[in-house]
Amino acid sequence: MTAEAQRRRTFWQILLFAAGLLVLTGISAGSVYLVNKARDDNRWVVHTIEAENQINALLLEIRRAESAARGYLLTQEAVFKADHERAIAAMPPAFDKLTRLTVDNPVQRDSMAKLGPAIQTRLGQFRQEMSFIGQGQPDKAAAVVREVASTDATAEIAKIASGMILEEERLFRQRSENADRSQTFAASMTGIGSGLVVVLALISIWLVRRSTRARDEAETRLRDANFNLESIVDERTADLREANDEIQRFAYIVSHDLRSPLVNIMGFTSELEELSGDVFRRIGGLTQVPAGGPPLAPGAPGEIMLEGADKQLSDDVSEALRFIKTSIAKMDRLISAILNLTREGRREFQPVKIDTRELIEAIVSTLAHQAAEAQAQVHIEPLPDVVSDRLALEQIFSNLVDNAIKYLKPGVPGEIRIRGRTKLGYAIFEISDNGRGIDPKDHQRIFDLFRRAGTQDKPGQGIGLAHVRALVRRLGGTMSVSSELNAGSTFTITLPIAWNVKNRNADR
Amino acid sequence: MTQPVTIIMIEDDEGHARLIERNIRRSGVNNEIVSFPNGTEAMLHLFGADGSGLVQKGNALLILLDLNLPDMSGIDILRQIKENKYLKASPVVVLTTTDDSQEIKRCYELGCNVYITKPVNYENFANAIRQLGLFFSVIQVPPAAP
Repeated sequence: MTAEAQRRRTFWQILLFAAGLLVLTGISAGSVYLVNKARDDNRWVVHTIEAENQINALLLEIRRAESAARGYLLTQEAVFKADHERAIAAMPPAFDKLTRLTVDNPVQRDSMAKLGPAIQTRLGQFRQEMSFIGQGQPDKAAAVVREVASTDATAEIAKIASGMILEEERLFRQRSENADRSQTFAASMTGIGSGLVVVLALISIWLVRRSTRARDEAETRLRDANFNLESIVDERTADLREANDEIQRFAYIVSHDLRSPLVNIMGFTSELEELSGDVFRRIGGLTQVPAGGPPLAPGAPGEIMLEGADKQLSDDVSEALRFIKTSIAKMDRLISAILNLTREGRREFQPVKIDTRELIEAIVSTLAHQAAEAQAQVHIEPLPDVVSDRLALEQIFSNLVDNAIKYLKPGVPGEIRIRGRTKLGYAIFEISDNGRGIDPKDHQRIFDLFRRAGTQDKPGQGIGLAHVRALVRRLGGTMSVSSELNAGSTFTITLPIAWNVKNRNADR
Repeated sequence: MTQPVTIIMIEDDEGHARLIERNIRRSGVNNEIVSFPNGTEAMLHLFGADGSGLVQKGNALLILLDLNLPDMSGIDILRQIKENKYLKASPVVVLTTTDDSQEIKRCYELGCNVYITKPVNYENFANAIRQLGLFFSVIQVPPAAP
């Protein structure tokens, strides 16, 4: 997965989350608004029903007053009169209440304005009736009743009231519809919003699952890659180890087998030398025969007496043989060196705890004579102890200290310093001197077998550093040099603090 | 009655064989030297066709053995000689080109009497061989096992 895709996915997830939040907020706000509106609408519906109810109540009171008045007229019993008076008394509060309830509607206000006088008229008629009955003139009261029935007063009231009821019913229908609409709207809004949230949540889940799957796949790939890498490293290490073993065997066999013919060459060269001695002695004997005398015994020991060309010949032969012998001796030393190196390479290391300071002090004391001759001072600073092979460490440090003493600047008192520190499980040793130094172009070369750098005024085979580096590597460490010509050298050795058999096995 | 010691030389390198012989002779040892250029022939001579070593019963031998032979390891020959009841009393001088301490140790463990490295420094080598000759002349080879 690329970083770009990762960023895009994150962006989409944030966007989805924001959208979900927005939808939720919208739904909440809308719901609050719509619920308020529905409550309002419902209040208006209730209000309408109340108004209608009040109209009916008022009409009922009028009818009650009317029928009580008629009952009184017929029977003249006081109970009807009381009933009539209660109805009359209930009428003004009912009227007032209706007026309050209808004040919001102009149509109803007009109707009320007409209803008020009509009711007053009817009340006046009731009072007339009642007073006639009270004066004991029922005929006149009956006449008033008849007159009222024939006039419009009652009809007028009924008409206005039914108009008002119709109006209220119209309002009721309209307001009910409004309330219904508000509720439906609220419900559908909640539904759609919830659906939207669910959809967003589903998309989110899908995205999360997809990214989880992608991550799992990446993890699997990484694990596979790691596993492959390990097996590749193992394979390569095995190959290298095999190649290394082969080189070691090869070097051993070659050096071993080279020695065999060398023994012959040297042996027969010596034979030849003796033979040539014999030959020249004989020649000497023959040339120095006194005239007529007996020849000297051939091959007799003693100085070879030769003169002129014969002596020249003898010297040439001796010189040739000397060169051959010198070369053989050198070749033998080289072969021995290779043999020793391969033998070292085959030696089993024994990890033991080593007091590094003590080990180096012992080395320095064995080199004290050389150091004194070179006017060199060796300073040993505090050194970390390590677990390693004692013999290998002795060889490493004695080679390096020996080199430091050997390659000082003539006439300058030597100053050799051995320092140590630890870092991440490794002990780092530095052997520095103020000697002649090494040209940077030779830094790699000095570690090669039989290669040396600088003025060749000291005896040596060019083996020491190659050997040291081979040992350091086998001990699981590294080695480097930093130096300038005429400015001293510092050899740095990094060794594991605790070297063990497992390291060795991995190394071999 | 003392039997003259026969020197058995097992050495594949003709030059080495010649040098050794010459040096032995020069040091004044005139015993018979029987030379074998490989292990198989030497084994046949020492152990006989049946491989029992009976053929050498009663013979006084001194064996010069090179460890690097083309057909078998000198160590094997040394072991077989020292395990054979007729031959184990014969002194064995191991001659080789290496001075590998492990190898020397192994040879002595197997019962070799003298171990001589063939040095390139010919003077030393000749000296060693001559001393060996001296050693031959004074050694009392014990009678072979009955």
